[in-house]
Amino acid sequence: MKMAAFWRTLVITLFLAFMILPVLATLGFSIATRWDRSILPEGLTLEWWQVVVERRAFLLTLRNSFIISLATAASLTLLVTPSTYWAHLHVPGSKVVFEIMSVFAFGVPGVVLALSLIRFYSNIPIPLINTPNILVAASMVLCFPFMYRPVANALESIDARVLSEAAQSLGANWWTTLIRVIVPNIMPGILGGCLLVFSTVFSEFTLTNLLVGSRFKTFPLYLVEFTRFDGRQASALALISFVVAWIASLLIIWIAGKSGKPTENLVGGR
Amino acid sequence: MPSAIPSPARRPTRHNSLTAWAGLLPLLFFAAAFQFVPIFTVLQSSLITPDGLTLEYYRNAFSPSIIESFVNSIRLSATTALLGVVLGPIVALAILSTPHKLVRNALTALADVTTNFGGAPLAFAFIITLGSTGVITLILAAVGINLYPQFRIYSISGLTIAYLYFQLPLMILLIIPSLLGLKKQLWEAAINLGANTRQYWTHVALPILAPALLSSFLLLFANSFGAYATAWTLTGPDVNLVTVQIASLIRGEVQLQPEIADALAVVSLLIMSLCVGGYLWLGAKARRGRV
Repeated sequence: MKMAAFWRTLVITLFLAFMILPVLATLGFSIATRWDRSILPEGLTLEWWQVVVERRAFLLTLRNSFIISLATAASLTLLVTPSTYWAHLHVPGSKVVFEIMSVFAFGVPGVVLALSLIRFYSNIPIPLINTPNILVAASMVLCFPFMYRPVANALESIDARVLSEAAQSLGANWWTTLIRVIVPNIMPGILGGCLLVFSTVFSEFTLTNLLVGSRFKTFPLYLVEFTRFDGRQASALALISFVVAWIASLLIIWIAGKSGKPTENLVGGR
Repeated sequence: MPSAIPSPARRPTRHNSLTAWAGLLPLLFFAAAFQFVPIFTVLQSSLITPDGLTLEYYRNAFSPSIIESFVNSIRLSATTALLGVVLGPIVALAILSTPHKLVRNALTALADVTTNFGGAPLAFAFIITLGSTGVITLILAAVGINLYPQFRIYSISGLTIAYLYFQLPLMILLIIPSLLGLKKQLWEAAINLGANTRQYWTHVALPILAPALLSSFLLLFANSFGAYATAWTLTGPDVNLVTVQIASLIRGEVQLQPEIADALAVVSLLIMSLCVGGYLWLGAKARRGRV
């Protein structure tokens, strides 16, 4: 059942306009001298960009966001890859654990996750609360399915059992098999997962705001602060966020395309 | 699932299952420490007072303003989910019937990318586009359509539009596999039996798609109900939503017992569980039905 050409064009045009206009407007606003009383910008300037990137807080928050995003992606890789491989070979029945953890990530709202961690760890003498470490842990909870799904799919698409038995009959132990045989074979899955985790954490606001706040200010927190007092500089910051998210997503699609697997559709934190 | 199929190559010396589960200890420890024990603490503290098991905190939690926040959250989630479920398949159908493969892939990629957008940058982009001096607002005013003051982006209707920015692409991605599953032969059979396009959709296609549409509605509802960042950036405390209420309790802006926040969290978790549970159940049903 095909749609008539006229309707098809109309629907796609409207869809594209809705998805792209806000991004274009953000770009335009960040390079306009003034654009709040005329249809077209009154003039063009790079002044706002210059002011924004020269601030010390800009580099600091950008650096903090990179640290948290990379730490989350790395920790999740270390947690998920060996566990998924182990489960795949030795505990097929444990798949339900991974699924429950994935559903938890989507089903528990960010504010509820933050509340539960604060309530639990404030009563325990472990210095976790208000530190970037608790933020990494919470981000790992949020991003668990983004790492697990691509890794599990990649494991199912290779013959992990035969590969493992071949490696072990040649004298490799479990860790050697994992690192030298399995990981290279599921690399597209791991990389795709890492990118999705990275871009999700890079734009994460809820958990950061509630768990660490201004003690460890990340890029999205900085952006929200700016939206309250300078729209033009905020639009430059918002555009940077969009560009990071776009680059990460396009890399994911590219990697998935190269490995011949369809991309996962997943739901990020908002 | 290849892992579930007993493989003839399986070695006789299998790990006994307890040792095998022990290999998952790091994962299980993580799940307990950062997911299940903290959530259980919240549930427990919302139900237990010094006097014992009680629903007192729940009674105290539901002040008029909290009831309003639940009404607003449910209305916002239902509206954006419904708009997504109605508009998503139309756009998906348009994408699928595009003759050029490149355009089709590019549009699917766009949906893929934008469904992960949200939060602060998105909210701000909408302020610039549809705020009181936003680009579209100005263009529409120039042709004689004045959005303001009837419409405000910093309101629940503004939030509806902003949420649609991630709900619509999500619906497109969810429904494309089901639309691809509609066999061409069904359409030909319906037409040969004398049905017109409208009859094909109402009597053949929609009943087949119904479980997928309903399960997608539940997922979109949950997706919107748990959202906080977009709402907070766009409207601050102006729009009273459940997540905004819980967040302000966490930040200590309202002096109340923390158990009130726990009770609200448990009620929102119940709503989320119903949606996600329904989504999973219907999804499993739809998959069984297709085989």
